[in-house]
Amino acid sequence: MAELSFPLPDLGEGLIEATVLEWLVEPGEQVERNQPLVEVETTKSAVELPSPQAGKVLRTYGVPGAKVSVGEPLIVFEVADDAAGIVGTVPRDEAPKRRVRLTAVPDED
Amino acid sequence: MNARHQGTRPEHLVEGSRQELAFQVHEPDAAALERPVLLLHGFASSSRLNWSDAGWLSALADAGRRVVTVDLPGHGSSPAPDELDEYSPSRIRAELLQLLADVGVRPYRAEDPASGVDLIGYSLGARLAWEFGGAQPQLVHRMVLGGPASHDPLADFDLAAAQQFLADGTPIADRSTQELLRMAQLVPGNNMFALMSMVQAIKAEPFTPTEAVPKMPLLLVAGEQDELASTMPELARLSGRADVVWIPGRTHADVVTSRAFKKAAIAFLAS
Repeated sequence: MAELSFPLPDLGEGLIEATVLEWLVEPGEQVERNQPLVEVETTKSAVELPSPQAGKVLRTYGVPGAKVSVGEPLIVFEVADDAAGIVGTVPRDEAPKRRVRLTAVPDED
Repeated sequence: MNARHQGTRPEHLVEGSRQELAFQVHEPDAAALERPVLLLHGFASSSRLNWSDAGWLSALADAGRRVVTVDLPGHGSSPAPDELDEYSPSRIRAELLQLLADVGVRPYRAEDPASGVDLIGYSLGARLAWEFGGAQPQLVHRMVLGGPASHDPLADFDLAAAQQFLADGTPIADRSTQELLRMAQLVPGNNMFALMSMVQAIKAEPFTPTEAVPKMPLLLVAGEQDELASTMPELARLSGRADVVWIPGRTHADVVTSRAFKKAAIAFLAS
């Protein structure tokens, strides 16, 4: 198995960080693509981020109230080796029709 | 994901002028069996910010509900007319009534789960819902009011100070005015002229919840730290048929994404 990490995405409008309000999933949980992962709040609004990936959650970053910067790790999934075989390959199914979505970070190992 | 219809439909005159608020109908994956849910966003927000980005559209689609979103005048994708009258709450309610007719909402009958409409309104949208439900009991089945107040905070907005501030940066003394304007300015693309027109129209028609108390069951929801909704219990008392939910740790700005809020709303509308 391999790990696939997603950073806090660019939330637009020059925002550089967001505060975690509540995690809707926890490590060990199997999640579906587009399932709501976490609620975060910026200085402008509160948003719910959907999962970019189906898989098992390995780690989440940021307890409620903690600030996470854009580009810093937000969540790590465990995925089958072939899914992570090509560095930076994003899942093949249809992209979620949401304005803000998470994008995988290339594995640096 | 759910199918959407863009806002095209027969042209209608509402109170003598053309209705043109931007709306969308969001269909769930399987055919909806229940009545549609109309979502009304808050001041200086939009259907996108208040409902889409905050996760309400996907939650309601997962619950199998057909949803109608509409942008208030001068907000989101709706036009920002020059005429002050276009922003008045009574005018907006007339447009909502026409919109519901256009999307096929039929009068509510207790034995028909597809008849009538459910409303979810947030903040200013909650005020509009209270008034709409009070005036249109034949259409509305149940309503969820988020971050509501018995007194519209926009009615106390210091418009002169805000306009002065926008013109030359003179600081605003009133804290509530300062905060509302700050929130309004944070959203890029917000049309400040239109938002000030709406405040002016609201000041001319302030919220008087006793005027038409909605008779259908209500769910009132606010963050425990929401200062603007501190008068919510007064609405519950007036209604006599309201369930009240306070969401721990949340404010007026961040209760909108709350899973507990969505779950409570969806369960309440389904019962």
